[in-house]
This record gives sequence, C-alpha cells and structure tokens, in this order.
Amino acid sequence: MSKPAIVVSELSKQFNVNTSGANSLKTALLWWKRRQRTEYKVLRGISFDVARGECVAVVGRNGAGKSTLLSLLARVYKPTAGSVSIHGRVAPLLELGAGFHPDLTGLENIYFNSIILGLTRKEVAERVDRIVEFSELRDHVTAPTRTFSSGMLARLGFAIAIHVDAEILLVDEVLAVGDFDFERKCFAKIDEFRANGGTILFVSHNMQAVRRVADRCVWLHQGQIRMIGKPDEVIPLYESTPLDRATPA
Amino acid sequence: MLSELKELWKFRELLLTMVQREIKIRYKNSALGFLWSMLNPLITVLVMSFIFQNFLGNDQVHSATAYILAAYLPFTFFQLCLMDSAQTILIAMPLIKKIYLPREILPIASVISNFIHLLMALLMFFLFMTVVYLVHPGVWPFQWTSIYLPLLLLINLALSLGLSFYISAFNTFYEDIKYLVGVLTYLMFFMCPILYFEERVANSTLNIQWGGRLYMLMNLNPVFALSNAYRKLLIAPIKVPVNGQMVDPLPLDWRYVWWAAFVSVVILVTGYSTFNKLKWRFVERP
Repeated sequence: MSKPAIVVSELSKQFNVNTSGANSLKTALLWWKRRQRTEYKVLRGISFDVARGECVAVVGRNGAGKSTLLSLLARVYKPTAGSVSIHGRVAPLLELGAGFHPDLTGLENIYFNSIILGLTRKEVAERVDRIVEFSELRDHVTAPTRTFSSGMLARLGFAIAIHVDAEILLVDEVLAVGDFDFERKCFAKIDEFRANGGTILFVSHNMQAVRRVADRCVWLHQGQIRMIGKPDEVIPLYESTPLDRATPA
Repeated sequence: MLSELKELWKFRELLLTMVQREIKIRYKNSALGFLWSMLNPLITVLVMSFIFQNFLGNDQVHSATAYILAAYLPFTFFQLCLMDSAQTILIAMPLIKKIYLPREILPIASVISNFIHLLMALLMFFLFMTVVYLVHPGVWPFQWTSIYLPLLLLINLALSLGLSFYISAFNTFYEDIKYLVGVLTYLMFFMCPILYFEERVANSTLNIQWGGRLYMLMNLNPVFALSNAYRKLLIAPIKVPVNGQMVDPLPLDWRYVWWAAFVSVVILVTGYSTFNKLKWRFVERP
C-alpha cells in the first residue's frame, strides 16, 4: 500500500453560534456588548487514516459529528485545528441533487455539476450518454429539474457522482432514496467502483448496509472516536450502548 | 493571495460555465429575452431625455438621448453589479454547503455576466447612433477618442468587481447591506453627470463660491469621473447651456480618470483579500 487516501489528524471543529439569533447590522451595533456566543465543539481532535481502496463507515448517534466530518473532508468547512489531507479526486455525495439549478434542464445540470466536480466540458461530453443511461431518466433529461421528483433527482445525482472518475467517494446517507431496483444498481456500481481501487468513506445509520460494504468502522461519540475496528466488532458494541440523552444536538 | 488566484485559475472552466448559465437563466422565461438588456435602458433614457430637454433647460442640445445613454449604460452596469452581487452567496448557499468551489467564483460570475450585457448594450448604442445619424444627420457616431473605451471599461470592471467582493461578503452576514446598496446607488445616480453635464457643475454658483473645490470633490468620485469620461470620449462634446448662455465644453481632465483607475485597483485588491478572509465563515453563518 502506498500513501493512504485520506489522513485525518487531530481534527477539531468548533462552531460559534450567536444565541441572540441576530443577523442584522442594527442588532450587531446596538447589542455588541451583550453578544452571546455559544461554542459547540463538534469534533474534538480525531485522527484516523483511510487506505487506498478501503471502504470505511462512520457510525454514531445524531450530533456525534459525522456529517461535520464529511463536510470537512469535502472542504465545505475549514478545520478549527488539525488537518485533513486527501490524495485523489473527491466526489462528495453529501446530498443528492445539491447544486442542481431548478430552471435548467437535466442535461444542463449534468454539465454544471460535473464541472464543479472537476471535469472539463470535453470530458463531460464524453460521458453524458452514460450518465443519462444510468440515471434511467430517458426523455426527462431535457425537462427542467424543478419538474423532477426527489427520486429522479437522487438518481441523477448519483449517476453524475459515480461517473466523474473520482478516486474517493464521500457519501452521507443518501443511498436510501431510489426504489429497490435502483438501490441494487447503486450497490453494484459501488462494488465495481471498489473493485477498480476506489476509496469510500460513508456515513450511515443502516447497520445492514455498513456490514455489507464496510471494511472498517469508525464509531464517533460526542466528537471523539470511541472505537475503530471491523464492523463485526464495532456494531454489536455500538448497538448495545444504552441511550444517553445528554448528547448535545 | 497568489495561491488563491491559482486555485481560481484551476476552476476557470466552472467560471465560464457559471457565466453562461447566468446569462441563460436571466431571460429564460421571458418572451423578448436578450432584447430586454437594451430595451430597458432605451425606454428609461427616452423618458429621461424628454425631461432633460424640455424641463431642465436643454432645448438646444440635440441628440440628448445619445449623451444620456453614453453615461447611463455604464452606470446601469455598475448599479446592477452591486445589486446582483449582494445576493450571490446567499442564493448559492445550498450549493456551497454541500460541495467545494472557490466562493469568489460566485460574485465574479455575476459581474462578468453583467459586463457581457454592458458590451451588448454598447454595441446596440453604436447601432442606435448610426440609425439616428442616417435618419437625422447631426452627431457623427464614431469618435476617434472611442479607442479609449477599453481602458474605461477596464477601470469600470475593476471598480465594480472590487465593490462586489465587499458587498457579497458582508451581505452574507448582514442582509441590511443590500438595502444600503440600493439607496446608495440610487443616490449615486444624482451625484454623477448623467442627467446633467459636468459643465453645469463647474459653472454652478456654489462651485464658484468654493473656488472650484466642489467640482474637484465630485470628480474625485470614480463613478463621476468615469461617467463623464464615457460621455466625452464616445460622443463629440458640444456647447452646453448654462444659465441661458452656451458655454464651451471643458476638455476631459485625464488626471481624474487616472485617479479613478487608482481607486478602483485599490478597491479590487482590498475587496478580494477581504472576501478571502471571510469566505470560510459563509457556511457557518447563523
């Protein structure tokens, strides 16, 4: 194995939330003295590696920091401390259909989204047919995406992400949108992606899915890593921990 | 800043696509489409020149429409850039919360698409001038001084882009900014020689009382200097009625144009670095 695909070291993320909820200049000027800030430490210094070709699942309760971790990996946030280094092209699937413009047609959105993900126009032109075919949208691709159902948006989003030749996929609980057939097709595509040496990091609450695809499991608890290991070791422990309601939202 | 520019260059293909998309979307659901970018100022200017000639004492000024258009088109560009840029980040929030792209692409794409509209409008302007000339020979539409047009456009672009960086960044945190920009650009219109000639300012009682300082002060405003320069360089300057007398046009004072260029570049550089300092906090805004 060469360099790992993802290296996360001592990663921390803190959000400052203004509790007055004020978002106007007036309130900021008038009440700057009693500005109240609540700090949420969502991630508190976590470190782990993901090797090339590995599939790692992140599990944990709501508010454990899973989505924040993915967003940091997707460079949506900047870390408060620590670092993330990624070797290879990333396709984030944080929300299917994010970044589609409702007034543009499916085809125009294919171009737009693929270019954000790092393809050139020429490269998109080469794969647009495959994307349309995989998404099963057929003639609908020439309609504006505002007329699409959520299932159609999800299919198109997945079809684009899987065809941009990414080396690393970041997936946030999105595979549960299509119908049964499409889900199977997605899993088949993901297996193919992995067989070609692709790396996946995904977040899921679906333990069956985690058992099925993950090589390793990272269990996040209140912004820290509780355990890393094989799914068969981590999941039983994770599922058997009693609910503590003290977890911050 | 250099690394940020490099990053931006990597995403040039995206920028190009965004500009195309913006132009496509703008008139997507309208019947007249692209024509609106000319029709709108033309109707406005026709009303303006009616008032200008009949109620503001410019009866002797021929082709008032041309003089107003020459200054009004670039001003509309400036105004639209500022107004549009305010919302660019907020509109794209669902996008930038889910996927990485250099955030500065958003205001830049908005400014460039407005700039393309300005270029189209200027093309129509020359067309319009030619038609007017053919129907009613008066002002010859092409001045040799028009070769300075690219310089003026460049200054205008730098100024609008720089201010757009500031506005789009601050409006993301305080949405008051867009209302403030609305009022200020509206007022700016009256502070610039669009509905009047700069000779009127120079010969005003107040300016004479102040020993010419009012004229200088107003010229230090880069938008004033630019509006004036567009008008003087694109169309042949004419005698202007002041207090019932016709006075000779003032020659274009290039010092103010260079001053405007200097101010614009400073605003562009500081605006860009301010934007870059704030851009990571956009997605974390309350």
